[in-house]
Amino acid sequence: MPRPNTYALTWRLPIIVWQLLFFIGPLLFMIAMSFFLVKNYRMIEAFEMKNWVKMFGRNYFWDSYWLTLWLATLSTIVTTLVAFPASFALAFRTSETTRRWAIFLLIIPFFTSYLVRTFSWYTILAESGVINAMLGTIGIDPITMLNTKFGTIVGYMTLTLPLVVVLQTFALANIDRNLVQAARNLGCPPWRTILTVIVPLAKTGLIVAALFCFILSFGDFVAPYYLGGSKPPTLPILIIDTTKSGQQWPRAAVVAVVMMVTLITIAFTAITLAYRKRASA
Amino acid sequence: MTALVELEGVVKRFGDFTAVERMDLTIEQGEFIAIMGPSGCGKTTTLRMLAGLEQPTSGTIRIGGEMMNDVPPHKRDTPLVWQSLALFPFLNARENVEFGLKMRGFDAATRKRKALDWLERLDIGEFAERNVDTLSGGQRQRVALARSLVTEPQLLLLDEPLSALDAHLVIRMQSVLTRLQRELGITFVYVTHSQSEAFAMADRVVIMSKGNIAQIGKPRDIYRTPANRFVAEFVGRNNILSGTVTTADAAAVQIETPVGSFTVTPEGPPPAIGQTASFVIAADLVNITETAQNTGNSLSCTLISEEFIGSMVTLFLEAADGTEFKVQVQERALGSLDLKSGNTLHLSWSADNAHLLIGETE
Amino acid sequence: MNARFLDWGLRGYIALVFVFIFAPIVFSMIFSFNSDRFPTIPLGSFTTKWYAAIWNDPDVWKAVRTSMIVSGCTAILATMLGFATAYTDYRYNFRFKSAYLALVLLPPTIPLIIMALAMLAWFSKIGASGEVWSIILAHTVLTAPFAMAIIRLRLNQMDASIEAAAWNLGASEWRTMREVIVPYCKPAIISALCLTAAVSFDEFAIAWFVSGLNKTVPVMILEIVQGNIDPRVNALGTFVFLTSMTLVIVAQVVLMTRKGVKG
Repeated sequence: MPRPNTYALTWRLPIIVWQLLFFIGPLLFMIAMSFFLVKNYRMIEAFEMKNWVKMFGRNYFWDSYWLTLWLATLSTIVTTLVAFPASFALAFRTSETTRRWAIFLLIIPFFTSYLVRTFSWYTILAESGVINAMLGTIGIDPITMLNTKFGTIVGYMTLTLPLVVVLQTFALANIDRNLVQAARNLGCPPWRTILTVIVPLAKTGLIVAALFCFILSFGDFVAPYYLGGSKPPTLPILIIDTTKSGQQWPRAAVVAVVMMVTLITIAFTAITLAYRKRASA
Repeated sequence: MTALVELEGVVKRFGDFTAVERMDLTIEQGEFIAIMGPSGCGKTTTLRMLAGLEQPTSGTIRIGGEMMNDVPPHKRDTPLVWQSLALFPFLNARENVEFGLKMRGFDAATRKRKALDWLERLDIGEFAERNVDTLSGGQRQRVALARSLVTEPQLLLLDEPLSALDAHLVIRMQSVLTRLQRELGITFVYVTHSQSEAFAMADRVVIMSKGNIAQIGKPRDIYRTPANRFVAEFVGRNNILSGTVTTADAAAVQIETPVGSFTVTPEGPPPAIGQTASFVIAADLVNITETAQNTGNSLSCTLISEEFIGSMVTLFLEAADGTEFKVQVQERALGSLDLKSGNTLHLSWSADNAHLLIGETE
Repeated sequence: MNARFLDWGLRGYIALVFVFIFAPIVFSMIFSFNSDRFPTIPLGSFTTKWYAAIWNDPDVWKAVRTSMIVSGCTAILATMLGFATAYTDYRYNFRFKSAYLALVLLPPTIPLIIMALAMLAWFSKIGASGEVWSIILAHTVLTAPFAMAIIRLRLNQMDASIEAAAWNLGASEWRTMREVIVPYCKPAIISALCLTAAVSFDEFAIAWFVSGLNKTVPVMILEIVQGNIDPRVNALGTFVFLTSMTLVIVAQVVLMTRKGVKG
């Protein structure tokens, strides 16, 4: 290994400095802030458990916590299941060219305004919105879709579905086709290869896709607020309310730290599962 | 013997590309048959059609008398040992072997017992619970073999199964395969590009070229009496000379070539005078001496190089017009022959040992 | 027969997935030209009044200007940092390299709302809250990994001995960087500039928390939406869509055509 010289360090150091100052710094400060105190709308640097005790003692915090966890889990399950047939078809049943075009199209929404897309869903799902107007013409009474879990999940999926389809497609397209054929050769009917061979082979990619879906859903405030009605609020909405209206930054930091810890635990579990090799005797 | 596999006029095209142009082949029950040829000759496609992984464009494939053209792979009993082995990385050795039994609905206890039996039989019982990624090449090979044999099929398909192994393991596995085939009495169809594997194991060898069968025969026949120039060249270790027939009767055919006139004893009806013809003389049937032999077929050549493989020596020589000759002799038979490149040596062979190819030229 | 039926089914399913993904974008565009105050069908008459409304709003102009500055500066900074990091990862091996890469690649996996709160707190601590450049600093952290990934993929395609070949021909390391590596990575650099600009242009959570009075366009949309249904959002949204889609498409086309030439 060559000793780092000026040239090497010129390329290596900037990002370290930048991330320490503007990424690690803020995160550590936020953790510290969760122990600060607020008096007369002013923050006092301290090391007190007060915010933690207060937040953990409130029912509304736990309601939000379980709701957020449940909604993100639901979103992950639904998105994974909805995405899989599409990813399967793109990976196994379409030409290379079609697949490339499909992925191109799936990447576009990821980089376009999620906020405007969610707002657009609002007008589509509303009581007098596009879907209900269409249902009305064939004589069906309006269905309430806004301010329900259904609305929230639709919003989450706006954010996550394209990404999950792309990641799943990559995972499935990378499978060694010989193994699928080998299973068929050993007597496995076509449908059964999905569960016996394809899913186990693509396991890592499928879990990573699901993990991204969970993280994005867990941290999103737009869908549960505008489409889900925010009753009760999810944790991200709680952070916003506590920060913006209550000026209680330290308590918001408690919520954020709890979210981080939850996500790290889940990510760690998921990655362990994804990369777990079978134990060898 | 009864026919197990029958291919009749089998053709396989992929778009514009013709992989198999025409295949007519009958494989007997209990036979070890090797299909070989250069890459792209259609040998693997033929094997995949037997497994049902490809459907023939036209023609019929029957196995055990039953028409198989439209039978999907999972409804056949034609396990394939893959070139890449295609072991399932998420299953351990035993579970890999159990796979086919599981698909056939055997209960867990029976599956386990049969799988362990087979692993034991192939001397890898101790690795049953090991992850297949942690096994050596030879061990993985045996797992793949056990996985294919555990369902006790009538027909086993093998696609260059030994190509990834070290040379010394190849020999070991060859004897394992021939022993198994004899003990089980089942039919092996073995695709390979390796002549030594095919000749060492097979009862019959099918040589394929550009989607067609070039020759079918016992290894010895393929070697000694190649049906055509392609086979003669593919088998290697052969010298081929072409020219015009000058005299011909049932006992002797005289062929005028650029390097001299030679006599060949025809095995069938003799060719017409004036016809083009070639003959093959195997490298190990050529005598080599320092002094000219004036009897029968003889020729002077310049020594170019030599190659020792164990006790066998291959000499590479060149005739006056640049035609290359190969001569193979036992090292101890060389005697006091002066093997300096550039030296002139004299080749001779018996007319009975030359093999006539009528109408075949370059 | 059965297989063909299945294939059509799957194709139809893919089409449905695409309808779901693109419906909000399409409807937003349609409604931006619709006269009714509450967007629904049947459509009202064609109008450009919502566009006129945002065109004549000085606040919108101010937000557009802020957004342009933020995404432009973010793109340049993030691409520079991303390039340096991608090159480091390509060329060097060193201790703690995986920690180094984690440090670079982690930010997009942290929920934006958490980043937003952390940034808000940190910038007020160091006395930089409410400034345009505080948004730029935060967005650079968020987008540098994207730039790094794109440029890293390009470096992967580079012949491993090209750099050494240039040294062998007498070029210094710096000279080789300028004459060989940067030109080779040019399509990826352009692509990274476009994509990081697009991400920054659409980001609203961090921008909302740290912007103070310097609203970007998405923050403005967020605040309008919080009031009530206002079709100006559709007009503004269409503008935002077209901007980021243009950036994304340019980024992909630049990458794809160069790849095509290479074969």
